[in-house]
Amino acid sequence: MFDFVRNIGASTLETIREMGRMFLFLFSVLRSIPTPPYRWNSFLKQMRFIGIRSLFVIALTAVFAGMVLALQGYYTLSRFGSEALLGPAVALSIIRELGPVLTGLMVTGRAGSALAAELGIMRIREQIDALEVMGIPPMKFLVTPRVEAGLLAVPILTLLFDVIGIWGGYLVAVRLLGMSGGTYFGGIESAVEMHDITTGLIKSVSFGLIVTWVCTYKGYFTQRGAEGVSHATTSAVVMSSVLILVCDYFITSIML
Amino acid sequence: MTQPGSSDDISRLNGSGRAPISLGERLVANGCITSQELELALRRQRSQSDAAPNMHRVGRTLVDMGLLSQASLLDCLYRQFAAERDAYQVSSRQQDAVIRLEQVVKILDGRRVLDAVDLAIPANRITAIIGMSGGGKSVILKHMVGLMKPDQGTVWVGDQPLGRLSNRALNEVRRRFSLLFQGGALFDSMSVFDNVAFPLREKTNLPETEIRDRVVRSLEQVNLVGMEGKYPDELSGGMMKRAALARALVTDPEILLLDEPTAGLDPIIENAIHHLICDTFMRTRYTMVVISHAVPEIFKWCHHVIALHRGKVLFSGPSREVNGSRDPVIRQFIHGDLDGPIQVI
Repeated sequence: MFDFVRNIGASTLETIREMGRMFLFLFSVLRSIPTPPYRWNSFLKQMRFIGIRSLFVIALTAVFAGMVLALQGYYTLSRFGSEALLGPAVALSIIRELGPVLTGLMVTGRAGSALAAELGIMRIREQIDALEVMGIPPMKFLVTPRVEAGLLAVPILTLLFDVIGIWGGYLVAVRLLGMSGGTYFGGIESAVEMHDITTGLIKSVSFGLIVTWVCTYKGYFTQRGAEGVSHATTSAVVMSSVLILVCDYFITSIML
Repeated sequence: MTQPGSSDDISRLNGSGRAPISLGERLVANGCITSQELELALRRQRSQSDAAPNMHRVGRTLVDMGLLSQASLLDCLYRQFAAERDAYQVSSRQQDAVIRLEQVVKILDGRRVLDAVDLAIPANRITAIIGMSGGGKSVILKHMVGLMKPDQGTVWVGDQPLGRLSNRALNEVRRRFSLLFQGGALFDSMSVFDNVAFPLREKTNLPETEIRDRVVRSLEQVNLVGMEGKYPDELSGGMMKRAALARALVTDPEILLLDEPTAGLDPIIENAIHHLICDTFMRTRYTMVVISHAVPEIFKWCHHVIALHRGKVLFSGPSREVNGSRDPVIRQFIHGDLDGPIQVI
């Protein structure tokens, strides 16, 4: 019994310590963003990796998310004779909720895991130590460009997700179910407000920060060889995904 | 001002008080070349460069002219080094030590890896640190460059205590160092050329043409010409170590730390790396610290030896004296006996 209580106490303390380390890491990353030298090449390289190379998976997810939303929405709304509201239902769901969340989760799976693994391998092969010995701050060189790219790429990907998702809904609603295109887009135009788009963008910036922060942190402090890299990658993906959903709830409740 | 590696420089540093014997004179004395061939090489070198001839340039010219093989040149350099090594005396003056550890304690995972370690690394010498695996050798190296901080005690580089320096000041001190990591620590995503050029591109404002020249020169020194475009995963273990050594040398450091430079290499490559280290030392006079398990071979290649066991310094002195040590742990370690105070089975 005593051991059980002691273990709980120890793991609680360790969790608090880990949170402290993570916030200190975030603080030093944010502090390094406005500090020269600005590594434009590294930033563009990461934009390509996180942004451009995620385009296909984002487009695929978006089109099917929009299509299934339209199918389910049509089925539900037709019960109440409100099929005309399908456009706004699809658009608002995607812009306010599904766009940022699914983009965040997809980027976590595709780019976040790779960020954690890449930095983890650099750590266990002593490449990060080599940078320190050369007097090159590894945080500025490795982490900052990745976080900056995440902050910009995820909102852009979210906007693309929104457009493609609404177009996917259009395919099902208009082409498949025979709804009028004017009704679909007219409803969207009158229902969607700037506030909805802003909410989606605030979420996407937050999720971009969460993914790159958590994944670079886990990779940067990898320990104990290949097993450590595998552990870091898994825990980076799990923690980022959970944090995205938790953060989504709080932002939604604040901005409603 | 004396040229690095010139015979004047060597006689000043070896402190033997004998008249300096240049590499060329040694080659003639050994019958490797005739005095006419030496004169020819010196003349050719003078005609090619305005810089004063030094032993390294003369040696290279002789190899280029086909008068001497690379192996004979390295052997002659080694003999020159061996004479200097045998004349080496430990200085008790604190200012002769470039790095000092005072009462350094480090505890990792509840184990006292360094237990009140006191040691001094002599300037402009090759020092070997030997000891059992897990005995704290790499931990010492990481303390010397500030990658690890001691739980107690102080690490001094020159007159600067590393633990009390700001990040900026620590980075300034680190400019004096280069560290060859055990696994090379080359960046996987960069070619050999870019790996070697990396510290110059990041830490200097040199134009790209100058960087290119220095990288090529550095790769020539480690015999890796033609490998510039290869990536680290396309290199053998020996090539990887040499590429990492080229990266360590390209910044022209004062202090070169080498963490097991010959680990996992066959005897021929091991010998080649030892010659390369000796060649680099004779040419540059960097302070070098080598961690090695190549015992007793490494005693041939260093002036000073520090033996560590269970976090404590058992021996610190000239390499010629370590074989005569009566400490049972050192004797067992040198001879690789299973029977003795160190029980592994």
